[in-house]
Amino acid sequence: MKTILLACNAGMSTSLLVQKMQKEAQAQGLDVQIKANPLNKALEMIDQADCLLLGPQIAYAKKEAVEAAGDKPVAVIAMVDYGRMNAKKILDDAMKLMGE
Amino acid sequence: MAEDTAEKKSFLDSFAEVSAKIGNQVHLRSLRDAFATVMPIYILAGIAVLINNVVFPLFLTGDALANAQYWGNAVIQGTLNVATIVLAGIIGYCLAKNKRFENAIACVVIGIAALCIMMPQSVNSAAASIQDFTELTYKSTTDKDAEPYTVTREEVESGLAIPEGYEISSVGSSSVSNVFTKTYTGTNGLFGAIIIGLVATTVFIKFSQNEKLRVNLGEGIPPAVADSFNTMIPMLITLAIFGLIAALLHGIWATDLMTLINTCIAAPLKGFVNAGPWFVILVYTLANLLFCLGIHQSTISGVLAEPILTILITENMAMFAAGEPIPADHYMNMQIINTFALIGGSGCTLMLLADTFLFSKNKASKDIAKLALLPGIFNINEPVIYGYPIVYNLPLIIPFVLIPDLFIGLTYALTCAGILAPCVVMVPWTTPVFISGFLAVGGGTAGVVAIIWQVIEFALGMLIYLPFMKVSERAQAKQAELANAEA
Repeated sequence: MKTILLACNAGMSTSLLVQKMQKEAQAQGLDVQIKANPLNKALEMIDQADCLLLGPQIAYAKKEAVEAAGDKPVAVIAMVDYGRMNAKKILDDAMKLMGE
Repeated sequence: MAEDTAEKKSFLDSFAEVSAKIGNQVHLRSLRDAFATVMPIYILAGIAVLINNVVFPLFLTGDALANAQYWGNAVIQGTLNVATIVLAGIIGYCLAKNKRFENAIACVVIGIAALCIMMPQSVNSAAASIQDFTELTYKSTTDKDAEPYTVTREEVESGLAIPEGYEISSVGSSSVSNVFTKTYTGTNGLFGAIIIGLVATTVFIKFSQNEKLRVNLGEGIPPAVADSFNTMIPMLITLAIFGLIAALLHGIWATDLMTLINTCIAAPLKGFVNAGPWFVILVYTLANLLFCLGIHQSTISGVLAEPILTILITENMAMFAAGEPIPADHYMNMQIINTFALIGGSGCTLMLLADTFLFSKNKASKDIAKLALLPGIFNINEPVIYGYPIVYNLPLIIPFVLIPDLFIGLTYALTCAGILAPCVVMVPWTTPVFISGFLAVGGGTAGVVAIIWQVIEFALGMLIYLPFMKVSERAQAKQAELANAEA
């Protein structure tokens, strides 16, 4: 079971994406769990996650996130993928990040 | 030409970088987090104010109304009237979290304790209402040398007549000395909570990290015991210092820090924000521009404007609940932004979506509009900003930045002109348009006027977005053509 953590400003718009990613993962038969949180909370939960994806609106926080994440992979979601809620692409990228 | 764009890009990049730095400054960020955390109790207070002052009077009068309103007043008592105390604790917590300080709960204690240390210990008679008097002192208005004389409450109530030519010179109110005054626990003290909460927590964290203040109790003592001492000593020092400052202020200048903060910092700041809409327009221009570079607007607006604008709306709520008129220096507040200049999210993109549904022939735009409509109704619009896209799309950046500015200016002007009632209720920013306007001004006839204004805004926004949308679509079509030709 892998856990993907999504972080954005207030956790509002990212939670939208989570639903879509969850559905996509189910459709592909992947054993992953996806959670959305505001950045601070996400950084606290980093120990329970396998990778951290930042919404593009907080791309500036990547450095801080990388430091807090230790050896866990951190990436910023591409603006277009985020805006169009391209769950498949984002999920595929995340799986690659985790080396799956 | 290529060099030109490179230079432009680097300017935008450094703008984004500076903004992110401001937004990430630890104290400012903690302030933004604190207000986001405390928001639910303000919203709750808003609901109570609305029900008490708008709904109950519709079908109740006299004693029945007063009894029903006890409910709302109780909720206000537990939310607005302690807002300062709650905020001081939350600021301590958020600062501790953002500084990655382990003992966040100790910082909550520090924030609240330091704040209360700085509160006045007695209420001066001027602050008490005249109904609370225990004695009245009269002096002659005609004869300056005449002895003033004092009557007690019992004497006044038993119908003692005051000789002509005398007026009340002071109101004695010894009965209010033994209370914890809500003068500064409610919305009036929020500035104090911010300053004292941030300073006290910072000082406490500094002391806690000081190795010299650590106690070494030796091997046999359980670590938890040592830890408790290591919290206690810095806490004691921090609070003792604040107590000393309070004593000095009282002893030398007969004042207290809360009063000083309110007169020297809060009042000028409120005046500055309300000296026309310019400051707020400037902040939101920069903030919305920042969103067009892909970074969330609250990075700037959340730290530069929102704390003070939020304080103004909470004060309006308290005044509205007490049946007082809203003064002109409270016309500009958070609700002007959230209700009238953020329709469908930053940049009022709900109007762009409406244009897209009605006038666009571009399939990609229509698809994204469908996806973005539902969140857009609740003022969440990241799909529009990143997917439409607005980011790095010059034709749409222009209306995205200009429309909110225009709406802030016009709404403020209409409020000053007396056409639109000042906002008195804090409505969640996710409240859909039209409902939000009706509630924000306190419902009733004023609410209907607010809805009409939002309808006009909506039409105006659609009109402004339309030509820019056309230009954007033409540019996109051209790009697609070029891409096809290359391929």
